[in-house]
Amino acid sequence: MSTEQGTGARLFGLGYRGYEGERRTPRWAMLTIAVFTVRRVLGLGRPARHKVLPAITLAIAYVPALVSVGLAILLEDLPVGDLITYGEYMFFIGSALALFSALIAPEALCPDRRSGMLGLYLAGPLDRNRYLLAKSAAVLAVMLLITLGPLLFMFAAFVAAGHGPTLGETPELLLQILVVGVVAALGYASLSLAVSSFTTRRAAAAVGVVLLLLVPVIVARSAIESADAPDELDLLSFPFVIGELSYRVFDEFHYEGTPIERLSTSTIAAGAVAWIVAGALVCWLRYRRTENYR
Amino acid sequence: MSDAIATSQGPPPVVSARGVVKRYGRTTALAGLEAEIGPGITGLLGSNGAGKTTFLSLILGLRIRDEGELLVLGEDPATSGLTVRARIGYAPEHHDLPSELPAADFVRHLAEVHLLPRRAAVQRANDALWLVGLGEERFRSVGAMSTGQRQRVKLAGAIAHDPELVLLDEPTDGLDPVQRTEMLDLIRRVGTEFGMHIVISSHHLEEVERICDAVVIVEGGVVAHAGSLADLRQGPEGFLVEVDERTEELAALLRQRGVDVTERDGLLLLGASDGGHDAVRDAVAELGVGLRRLVPRGRTLEDVYMGTEL
Repeated sequence: MSTEQGTGARLFGLGYRGYEGERRTPRWAMLTIAVFTVRRVLGLGRPARHKVLPAITLAIAYVPALVSVGLAILLEDLPVGDLITYGEYMFFIGSALALFSALIAPEALCPDRRSGMLGLYLAGPLDRNRYLLAKSAAVLAVMLLITLGPLLFMFAAFVAAGHGPTLGETPELLLQILVVGVVAALGYASLSLAVSSFTTRRAAAAVGVVLLLLVPVIVARSAIESADAPDELDLLSFPFVIGELSYRVFDEFHYEGTPIERLSTSTIAAGAVAWIVAGALVCWLRYRRTENYR
Repeated sequence: MSDAIATSQGPPPVVSARGVVKRYGRTTALAGLEAEIGPGITGLLGSNGAGKTTFLSLILGLRIRDEGELLVLGEDPATSGLTVRARIGYAPEHHDLPSELPAADFVRHLAEVHLLPRRAAVQRANDALWLVGLGEERFRSVGAMSTGQRQRVKLAGAIAHDPELVLLDEPTDGLDPVQRTEMLDLIRRVGTEFGMHIVISSHHLEEVERICDAVVIVEGGVVAHAGSLADLRQGPEGFLVEVDERTEELAALLRQRGVDVTERDGLLLLGASDGGHDAVRDAVAELGVGLRRLVPRGRTLEDVYMGTEL
């Protein structure tokens, strides 16, 4: 190969050599892991089969919002009360929330311990707390897609279709949406992370999450109705806690005589916080004791 | 344990351990380990349960020692774990890497976790994979790769961020002889051409002997031997003689002729002296016995490891 002098030719691909460039802070490592995890759990950059479940779950979560908005646009005379309300939404998408939380956290945590990636991560500029924070942030971000996303979408669509709140009502409604979306995401993320910290198998963790969501619903209600147990026992059913909290936050009247409806708003809020804290604590303690340095 | 510490006058040690103790409940994994690992390539030898893995995890700051002092690249990994680990590359023993990820993505991800910006991480992941001979294969998923290729991917992941110290845990595990030779050559090249200090944890004495500059042998949680390979190999001066028969008569004859002779296990150990070779030759000829061996006394790494020095 011959080159003439002064042609500005440059040599690329010098091969492996020392690195003198920028090195970032450990926060960059956390961000890298969080982004990597979000992509992984949503199936991005992975074969098509890994995209199917997240796509179905997202569809389930957004369909009520789409239908509600569609009806509002098509049938202009339809009373707003006949549409799905913000407060009802968490009940409507209960199956999507259960499915998503059974899918996301196990996918985020279990393979790292099973494949030895956890050891590789911890051999880098990370510690267990930073690793867990990165993973939790990723799971929370993905959970927000279905807890906060549909509510915000519905709000924006209603506003666009002329069914939105007045200008004065908007800040309060946005705050309510934010509170419900974030608390629901925190709760589902926290409990599914806790369950996932007990096993290296995704399937086992997924089953565990579903059982944790469903079994207390049945057991607590049966105990209250047949054994005269206190109404507070209903707080063990996280889907009920989030559903009822959603009604209360949006100030929507709703009474069907269920035990949780007889509890005060502060008790229900305390129940939600207890779920979030307990889940996070269990997960943290599990990883604190883990010595997986393969 | 006079030879337990490889003292160095020149550059500062890469790893310096003084009286390091690590216990797991009632089990003592490291019982006052003393070692200095200098620049270059160092082999960390020891049987299973000797304390190698515990020592590596202490170097990485993944576990905290109970007693003693430990400095890695001049810093205490127990208190500066993040800083130390950012300067270290690590390739684990296991081959269970994320199977769906292409090798380039896996190595790039590790480089980013080790604080390289995205663009640099992509570039260096490619460079590292080319270096280990996987340039053409870098977009294949790790799960579809052979054990030998995965070992190379792990090495690429350990060096992509240009660490100062690379820890390789059994880097030739699962490789056939040809792959093993290639991997050892590659490690030697990484250690000599790119200025990285390398610590190889291994069971294979011949591998360590082949590419390492120094060795630390851990047994029972303490350092049994340590030092440069040249120093460790250096045995007592003189010769070792083995004959077919009449060993005692040969020894007596050699003593008569002023040669310093010691008998051990049917062998004759001759001290260093001028004319030793000639004396043996003449005595053997005179007695008419067959000479099986006449070799300089010295040590292989196996002799050191097994304590079978002659």
